[in-house]
Amino acid sequence: MQAVRRSTRTLPLAVAALLSVTVFGAQQLTLPNQKDSIHFAVIGDSGTGGSDQVQVAQRLTAMHATFPFDIVLMMGDNLYGGNAQRDYASKFEAPYKGLLDANVKFYAALGNHDDATEVMYKPFNMNGKKYYTFKPGNASVRFFALDSNYMDKEQLAWLEKELAGSQSDWKICFFHHPLYSSGKTHGSALETRATLEPIFVKNGVNVVLTGHDHIYERIKLEQGIQHFVIGSGGSLRRGDLTRTDITVKGYDQDYVFMLAEIAGDEFYYAAVSRRGQIIDSGVFQRPQPAEASPKP
Amino acid sequence: MRTALYTWLVMGVTVLTVGNPRAIAPLSAQTRVNPDALVLSDFNDRVKSYLALRGKVDGDAPPLQQTKDPAKIEAAQKTLAAVIRNARTGAKQGDIFAPEIEKKFRALLRPEMKGAEGAQARAEILDEKPVVELKVNAEYPSKEPLSTVPPTVLQALPPLPKDAGLEYRFVRKHMILLDTRANLIVDFLLNAIP
Repeated sequence: MQAVRRSTRTLPLAVAALLSVTVFGAQQLTLPNQKDSIHFAVIGDSGTGGSDQVQVAQRLTAMHATFPFDIVLMMGDNLYGGNAQRDYASKFEAPYKGLLDANVKFYAALGNHDDATEVMYKPFNMNGKKYYTFKPGNASVRFFALDSNYMDKEQLAWLEKELAGSQSDWKICFFHHPLYSSGKTHGSALETRATLEPIFVKNGVNVVLTGHDHIYERIKLEQGIQHFVIGSGGSLRRGDLTRTDITVKGYDQDYVFMLAEIAGDEFYYAAVSRRGQIIDSGVFQRPQPAEASPKP
Repeated sequence: MRTALYTWLVMGVTVLTVGNPRAIAPLSAQTRVNPDALVLSDFNDRVKSYLALRGKVDGDAPPLQQTKDPAKIEAAQKTLAAVIRNARTGAKQGDIFAPEIEKKFRALLRPEMKGAEGAQARAEILDEKPVVELKVNAEYPSKEPLSTVPPTVLQALPPLPKDAGLEYRFVRKHMILLDTRANLIVDFLLNAIP
């Protein structure tokens, strides 16, 4: 794993140091930043239109300059309080203008504050659907966006079919309601977990990204699946996280987004605060799916 | 000869029918119909009726289609809501959730709220506590969150027509039938869950 600074070795040291401080703030990212890997960012519960969201977006845009991600996944609650033109403008188009102008593609899931017609908004890349799947580039990675507000039997049948039919090494599901969360306000969606987890385990899902609780949390491996709660991209509940036995790392003191890189069998991640502090970072090997039922 | 033939014929038919209980069913069995099926069929008819009405008027609204322009999405939704309201000026609570249908829905939901799993389902439904005036044809307020409807609860309820943009949602303990394309409350059922 090499620091991002590798790309600045050719520059004079003073300029490189200035860039580091200016772009990254207090700490440096430790993502490999390989040319052929998949780079993406994750934001959740972002759509307030407030100065906090704007500052997170500015930090995210600054990071893009040296860790160029092609995709941003949105965990839902993309627009709070309305879906008029002015809401899209202030809660999405303006804050992320720099990234949109750089042709970064946003892929949204619906949260419980989102209007169903958001699926029709082209920059959310939902293709008119509340649940959908896509594959970025040629890598063996497939993303599945779900609507956790309303998991009817059609959606579940679609999910089983798509997961079973995918040969990708990495199957990453993202949706709003966390199956595992130590947030006090919402917490784990247990009934949804009881329905989704067996489908995920059976079909080799590796990573689950969610929001809804306005915290950051990395969950311990559950049945071979790595879960993250990334719900503070524009909304924050300070003090809402109570560490439990499922928490590996949690943070609720500032707004957070995540940067991620998938290189072969390795998933690198960095949770970054609004101020550029690296809250959490690391790498894990592609988890091997747990057995759906015990061996005899 | 002919009389004897008729006699044998009648006797033969009698033997066949008496020996075969299915040959002629009693009148009460012929008219006995599953009452639950009738109620659910009624519900389906009422939903289809609403969709037929929407289908008649949605040509008066701009089409809802994928676009980069959110103003077009908003216009499509708001205009659709307006034309539906106009066509449903006399709509009232119970047009979809008629009394027998209400009873049936509560009966379907009650077991889903029981036991440990029921408690979890209930917790997911009541995770958010939106403040919504329950009124037929009203807009669902954009400032209020929508409830989650757990998968087990959806499976217990009669399926709604696919891709019609109709959803069951909860406002605390009450259920609404929400037209998501128009963001309009089609009908509501009080105290759907205990």
